[in-house]
Amino acid sequence: MLRGLMRKSVFLGSAFVAMFFLCSGEVFSQSLEQEATVEENIPTEEGLTSTYVVTDMDGAAEALAKADSYKVDLQIQDRSFPNGGGSVPEVEVSSIHNGETIFFYVTWSDATKNDRAIKHEQFRDAVGFMFPIGIVEISPRTPFSPRMGDRGKPVNIWHWKADWERDLHADGNYEHMEDVYPDMFTDFDFNPHPDYFNKKVHDSVPLMAGGIAAGSLLSTPRGRSVEDLNAIGFGTLTSQTHQDVNGTGYWSDGKWHVMIYRPLISQDNNDVQFVAGQSTFFNMAVWNGEEGDRNGLKSVSIRWRPITLEPIAYTK
Amino acid sequence: MTLVHNWHLGRTMEYPYFESRPEHQFAAVFNINRCIACQTCTMAHKSTWTYSKGQEYMWWNNVETKPYGGYPQHWDQKILQMLWDNGNNPMEWFTSPEEKNETTAPYGLYNGDTIFELAKTKGLNQVAVGYIPDDKEWRFPNIYEDTAASEKTNYEMGSGADKESSELPEHKRWFFYLQRVCNHCTYPACLAACPRKAIYKRKEDGIVLIDQKRCRGYRKCVEQCPYKKPMYRGETRMSEKCIACYPRIEGKDPVTKGRRMEARCMAACVGKIRMNGLLTGDYKKPDPKNPLDWLIHIHRVALPLYPQFGTEPNIYYIPPRWAPRSYLRQMFGPGVDEALDKYAAPSRTLMAVLALFRATQTVISRFEVEEGPKIYESEVMGKKVEVYNDTAIGFAADGTELVRIKIEEPTWESDEKRMVTY
Repeated sequence: MLRGLMRKSVFLGSAFVAMFFLCSGEVFSQSLEQEATVEENIPTEEGLTSTYVVTDMDGAAEALAKADSYKVDLQIQDRSFPNGGGSVPEVEVSSIHNGETIFFYVTWSDATKNDRAIKHEQFRDAVGFMFPIGIVEISPRTPFSPRMGDRGKPVNIWHWKADWERDLHADGNYEHMEDVYPDMFTDFDFNPHPDYFNKKVHDSVPLMAGGIAAGSLLSTPRGRSVEDLNAIGFGTLTSQTHQDVNGTGYWSDGKWHVMIYRPLISQDNNDVQFVAGQSTFFNMAVWNGEEGDRNGLKSVSIRWRPITLEPIAYTK
Repeated sequence: MTLVHNWHLGRTMEYPYFESRPEHQFAAVFNINRCIACQTCTMAHKSTWTYSKGQEYMWWNNVETKPYGGYPQHWDQKILQMLWDNGNNPMEWFTSPEEKNETTAPYGLYNGDTIFELAKTKGLNQVAVGYIPDDKEWRFPNIYEDTAASEKTNYEMGSGADKESSELPEHKRWFFYLQRVCNHCTYPACLAACPRKAIYKRKEDGIVLIDQKRCRGYRKCVEQCPYKKPMYRGETRMSEKCIACYPRIEGKDPVTKGRRMEARCMAACVGKIRMNGLLTGDYKKPDPKNPLDWLIHIHRVALPLYPQFGTEPNIYYIPPRWAPRSYLRQMFGPGVDEALDKYAAPSRTLMAVLALFRATQTVISRFEVEEGPKIYESEVMGKKVEVYNDTAIGFAADGTELVRIKIEEPTWESDEKRMVTY
């Protein structure tokens, strides 16, 4: 009888454990994410090669234009809530390095130029690069989430923003309300110096702005158009205290042209490091401001793509 | 999504996070009947928090004229339309006695979809259905001020127009003022909507805040708060919202000597329509001596604004006596009739608590009533009303007596001689 009881309890116990695992997805999941697919952890065969070119900063743009471009297919972000984007089907990217700095050049078609995020309904165009931090191997056995990383598997994200680019060219490297609403203080007044009467309003901004008080890069002139970020999964994106990435971009004839560059090696542990002759992986995303793209509403390249840096060729 | 209990709806509903009620809940009761729309609250708010650049259009506190007014324009009609067009059983309430429960379902059972449930059943890319109002909608904070709704035109009414249109219980021509601040909801849609968890609800007092270090200006909160109280500040590229004057609520203002103090918009109210304070965290055990608990949970004379949205808002309203009941039921839920009956013929305790409105700017945590003689008797809508000259006493959380006020306001009459001199 005892044996029977034991057998029964083993059976019931295992059934309980099985039910626990079957139901846990439904019951215990607070997240709205889909299960990771196998393909997410299989990097593509072909990838981007960062050509070694002997050039200085000034010659980089020209050298980039000559470099082979690599097409990255994008798709709607359908892996996790809020599932959106998808209006940009592809980007073309090329890369060079000169042994000190790595340069990326990205172009994509976008009929509308959205380079402001000041009005309620304005959203910016943007492009992002994502790199795993450290030396990683990505395969179904050694997964590395392309969904902005995972706990213990952080990623480094470089995020170029069209409105930051515009800020760079504005007075004081920052666009203000009056750049969007030029008559905001004086609808019916023809005083040539209306701001004098609103001096208090101007002066109170640093005191009365949470964003500025919190030292957010969004709220203050930051002198660059690319943000250097980290993430360990969706919702965890965090701006780095040490910003290392620079870039520039322009829009013409329905196309964005963006160049992003950074020294191969940075002094920051939270950054991806590049070594000539070695390879790592990258992923891309594009936001189309016209469609209201922001956060998870974006066009993404789901699979990791290898990027290989050509070894430095020493000339005699 | 998890299941949480929403006592306004008398049922559990879906929400992205677990039920986690604060120890105390920031709340207020607004007596719409008393409001004259002087906008002193609005200016008190404005001159404290949003006088700076990028906040020109921001009114964390606003008073709008219902039914036509709205800031942003048509905010409530738009959300109601979404629920009506797409939701299951829109606006359906079951109010029979068996559906009701003293504490968990005082108004009955709401059978329709909340904004969270609608977003989920429709598979939208939102946690709660909503929209981002554009510039034009924010531009006129007091549009349609004092514009009345009317069943008939003057011509149709003929000579008896004034009499017919202004007779209780329902005026045929009517409007009322709706005072709005952030509701510091128990289940905030802004908090649920934020993909970055930059919005949080404080455990100690239930105040909902946007972390300006985490905010990245996605405007999901602006989009999904049904009350449209988080607002985007173009100057800093991130969103801001009412902070319930939390330094005052914490008692940091030296004037009240470390005791909790009412928010600016509440303390500034000239019409004495507002009472601000903290609710007991556990809604099942309201404290009958806490004036807000008593008004909301026990006497149920103050009602939530659009409970059907499902966020369990914490600003409660004593509905206006003269407006059409059907409109009020849509706005404040099925508790309207009971609340209006109680307000029209107020009990002794209600008279006492109403006397404490705006009697002090320190938060009243406890009230007592000392009985006095009968001073007045009348009949209101077929009901006998007796008024006693009771004394209402308000106490702070530490037991200090804050205010002692009689129902009949003490008056002083000058003697004849003085009258002549002056």
